[in-house]
Amino acid sequence: MKISAGLPTGVSAALFDSARRRRRLEARLSTLLEERGFAEVLLPILDYFEPYRPLLTGRRLEQLYRFVDRDGQLLVLRGDFTPMLARLLAPHLDELELPLRLYYRGDVVRHQPLRPGRMREYSQLGAELLGGDEAEADERMLTLFFDLLLEARGEAPVSGDGEEHTLRVVLGVAGALDEALLAAAGEREASDLALRIASRDRTAARRAGLADVVERGYPADLSVLGGAGEAVSELLGLRDRLSSAYRDAGVEIEVDLAEFAAAALDPRIGVGDGRRGYYDGLMFAAYAPGTALALGVGGRYDKVFRSLSGDCSAVGFSFGLDLLLELGAAEARS
Amino acid sequence: MITFGLPKGRNLGPARASLAAAGLNLEGLDSSRLRQRFPDQNVLGTPVEVLLLKDWDLPLYVEHGIVDCAIVGSDVLEETQPDVFRPLQLKDGRSRLSLIAETPELPKRSGQLRAATRYPAWAARLLAARNLHVEVIHLTSSIELGPLLDLTDVAVDIVQTGGTLRAHDLHEIEVLATVAPTFVVNRASFHAHRRRLSGLLGALEETETGDD
Repeated sequence: MKISAGLPTGVSAALFDSARRRRRLEARLSTLLEERGFAEVLLPILDYFEPYRPLLTGRRLEQLYRFVDRDGQLLVLRGDFTPMLARLLAPHLDELELPLRLYYRGDVVRHQPLRPGRMREYSQLGAELLGGDEAEADERMLTLFFDLLLEARGEAPVSGDGEEHTLRVVLGVAGALDEALLAAAGEREASDLALRIASRDRTAARRAGLADVVERGYPADLSVLGGAGEAVSELLGLRDRLSSAYRDAGVEIEVDLAEFAAAALDPRIGVGDGRRGYYDGLMFAAYAPGTALALGVGGRYDKVFRSLSGDCSAVGFSFGLDLLLELGAAEARS
Repeated sequence: MITFGLPKGRNLGPARASLAAAGLNLEGLDSSRLRQRFPDQNVLGTPVEVLLLKDWDLPLYVEHGIVDCAIVGSDVLEETQPDVFRPLQLKDGRSRLSLIAETPELPKRSGQLRAATRYPAWAARLLAARNLHVEVIHLTSSIELGPLLDLTDVAVDIVQTGGTLRAHDLHEIEVLATVAPTFVVNRASFHAHRRRLSGLLGALEETETGDD
């Protein structure tokens, strides 16, 4: 019988040099994480479906591969590390010594439309910081995010005006535009406006009085954001501090509320069921020229613990390891 | 350098004209060549590479980051739903997607209506939003032949001047959507070239009337 070497759609094998390269990158990033006091956790590939009902909503829940085990239990394949880690730790928060620094690496599986660079099974490496002062934790984790990016990129040949080799990190606050969206479009249209602004639709943004948000990332007058204005003001301060530290390394940091416009928190807007649905504070994403997707995303997700009846501040991020490998290879080529 | 994808065929003219009016003059563009470079004396302040590609392929090239930005028909975007930014729709070259039949009213049928279209996913969404749950038949050209040859009850297709409809004695029952050339940008390219693209998009907004 002839045996096919084919694999299911959205799945690939890393063989020989590609496996070596990935393991080397993992080792470099893990060393950096260990040096910063992060401890590795190994999480199972299988879990019950039930705990994820309150943690994941909408598209992310639908993307889980689920099946009935032989003993009748509804199980899922690991689709995300962060909620799994949260649900395992939440019942033991009283026994844990906070702050807690953890990192993980491994594959996740999601049934999602195939897009450039987006497989159904892919490798992630991520880190979580639980507990501690929130502002300090946000800054510490962003710094770690940048340092891991730079470690993955290696020596960057910043040439010419630098623009084409610069890593871009965009910062935002989940739900920062909610009040402005509701004020501009009302409850029925706010969701549609959020999606248009996330798509950088200049006409829709101008009509809503939010042209600044798509043109430069945030409004000149932060009072239009209502209660979120203060959080965005603090974010601009954080951007300035980090920019001066990372500009020479070729990292450009921008506040871009449009990027996270669809990560709404207000249930009347109702678009917060997307891939970043569980974030409720700082959000960030990293891009490099020539990559089709964000290299990594992260943010604050205290509400995940709240929905598990736990009270713990939490901030974390994850990188797509294949995208980081591409980044290093692209810089080496250039 | 910024790489532009422009559509081959009838949409190329309006796209070039809009870009030229906004300060990106592609003088000397040879429509028979795939890839051409232009110097940096333009509103972007950087050299520009232009790739001439088929309308239906452009979204994929933008998603992959092969081209940083492109001008693509909104019909193609609605059908293919690419993960790209869509900052602006151009005024020139607009048309409409309409529901077409041999009669001025929607044909009465005991079973499910059949609709011919080159946009099966988009047409199904638009018709479902009107409580019309139809069997969609995917055709790639001469969509008007669907109802004319009794393959389908109606057609969902682009109408520009209405000349084809008049020539075949067909009726435009309802305009379902406006179709416009749309400026699209790759996510990573948007962040990499944000300041430069913002200048071009601002100039495009000023030259286009912009509003639907």
